[in-house]
Amino acid sequence: MTTPPPHELDVRPILAQGEEPFGAIMAAIDALQPGQALRMLAPFRPAPLFNVMANRGFDCADRRREDGVWEVTFTPQGSGPADAGMAPGSAPGAGFWPDPALVLELIGLEPPEPMVRILEEVTMLEPGQVLFALLDREPMFLFPELAQRGHEWAGNYAADGQSYRLMVRAGAKDD
Amino acid sequence: MPGKSLSPWTLSWFGSAMIALLLALVLALAAGIGPEDFDRPEALAIVHLFALGWLAQVMLGALVQFVPVLAARPLAFSRLALPALLASSLGTLALAGGFLSLDGYEIARPFFLLGPVALGLGFAMLAVMILATLVTRQTLRLPEVRMVLVALAGLAGLWLSGAAMVSTLAGSRVAVDLSQALPLHMLFGIGGFLTFAAFGVSYKLFAMFLLAPEAASWQRRAVFALAAMMAGLMLTGLLMLAGDAGITPLLIAVCGISLAGAALYLDDVRRLWQARRRAHPELNMSWSRMALGFLALSVLLLPFAIWQGGALARASVFAALVGWLSTLTLAQMIRITAFLTWIQIFAPLIGRRKVPTVQSLTHPRRAGLALTIWSLSAAIGTLSLATGFHAGFRLALCGLLIAATQILCELVAIRSLSHLPAPERPGLLPPLILPAFLKSQHSAENQI
Repeated sequence: MTTPPPHELDVRPILAQGEEPFGAIMAAIDALQPGQALRMLAPFRPAPLFNVMANRGFDCADRRREDGVWEVTFTPQGSGPADAGMAPGSAPGAGFWPDPALVLELIGLEPPEPMVRILEEVTMLEPGQVLFALLDREPMFLFPELAQRGHEWAGNYAADGQSYRLMVRAGAKDD
Repeated sequence: MPGKSLSPWTLSWFGSAMIALLLALVLALAAGIGPEDFDRPEALAIVHLFALGWLAQVMLGALVQFVPVLAARPLAFSRLALPALLASSLGTLALAGGFLSLDGYEIARPFFLLGPVALGLGFAMLAVMILATLVTRQTLRLPEVRMVLVALAGLAGLWLSGAAMVSTLAGSRVAVDLSQALPLHMLFGIGGFLTFAAFGVSYKLFAMFLLAPEAASWQRRAVFALAAMMAGLMLTGLLMLAGDAGITPLLIAVCGISLAGAALYLDDVRRLWQARRRAHPELNMSWSRMALGFLALSVLLLPFAIWQGGALARASVFAALVGWLSTLTLAQMIRITAFLTWIQIFAPLIGRRKVPTVQSLTHPRRAGLALTIWSLSAAIGTLSLATGFHAGFRLALCGLLIAATQILCELVAIRSLSHLPAPERPGLLPPLILPAFLKSQHSAENQI
């Protein structure tokens, strides 16, 4: 089975005309093939949409591109063999990322120490390089910060629920 | 996770709750409330200022922050957070004012009915936010989530029983037997709502601060089953009250369940404590242990409270509200405020400059001293209520006020980063208790 490529929707022209893009987004969602993702381009981070889409059964992954445009991918939950079992918000296709350039063992550190270590290390990586980290728990406060800085992530709990595995792919250098 | 994990209004809830706490303590001292005075209308007003204005608001504010973390998704209908806060603050003040009408202040009478209406509106908005965020297939499996849902059922029971009592006291047609409704109302508030919510939140917080495994235990599942049973029994009690039936057998069953549930909860926390990876727990955890001691004391007093009422009932309620729930909340609030402040100010700076530790935002000795005074006063207060010792109770109130004032100063110091050396402080700080989302978004945009 092959997954169709994501459908792309750029809402910037709609917003530029001063119109509300919600209808166009919903129409695009309704027209998706089974398992197909929607990739949306917006001039800002469309946070209110995430909850709407979660309720419609879509996982969201967002990142800010180098040109300042927000690229948000809505993936139907439970689709795509490489993404099965990943936490909501994980970037789609993380199974095809390169091997980690760096492995961080962050078990037994108190929050927010794991977040500090990951953000410090990912800042040093070249764009596209991947970092793997092992943590005690899902780093909830890290995710918005990664998205804000244009990095992608994918993570899930290990089968025994005792540790959390996180991959971060560095975006463009941010400073 | 998409969306910000920080709920912008959490600190506003905390701030409003701290104001209510100080106001309640100042008024209790000013009105000369003693151990035997809890039937006086002023005392009822103050008790509600404390229980609703302080404890319920701080708990609801914590839930607004905590529920998105629990469900790993953003808070649904987050725009309701401000109207809910305003409605619950207004409702608390109106209710407290309304009690004074029982003393003949006719001018306060309209407020008496306004109180439950505004509170109901605020609680309903919160319930919508919390339920819409929590109720998904994945999250409903978690015992912590179920516990929070039971707590919401307790909140509904608290409101229903309270509204029925206000209606009775205001002389309207809907009337209930107050002597039966009162114990049920208190059990709904202290047990059904506040304690269950504290249980649900504490499992996750304790595991995080102790660096202990998060996996659920059989004790946790059993506590949830007992809590659900207790909420069911109490809601049945509410129906029986409407039908003028006696609820004493039901109260005895609730008392038995409370004893078993509290014992299992304490055993579960002991298990977490022993499995912890952090050798020396921080201040918030060592003082949470003190709070757990008060939980045990209050539950042990419960059978006497139900059978005898009077002084031991007052002691049990005081141990629960002031010793267990307030000590736990105050200890955790200091830590959580420091954590949220750190995330708000320093998370965007990680990797770009050296960031201080969360601990360096706090002054553990000052907070520890305040929590010592608080706990000691809670113990003296409980003992004085049990023995009817007037001077002891007044002394306890003084101690509580001193401790609360110190904690407020510490919270302000944390928010304004005053424990940090000046070079480590960023030039622009977020507002003390109002959300800074517009401003922080703006500054984050500029940094990229």
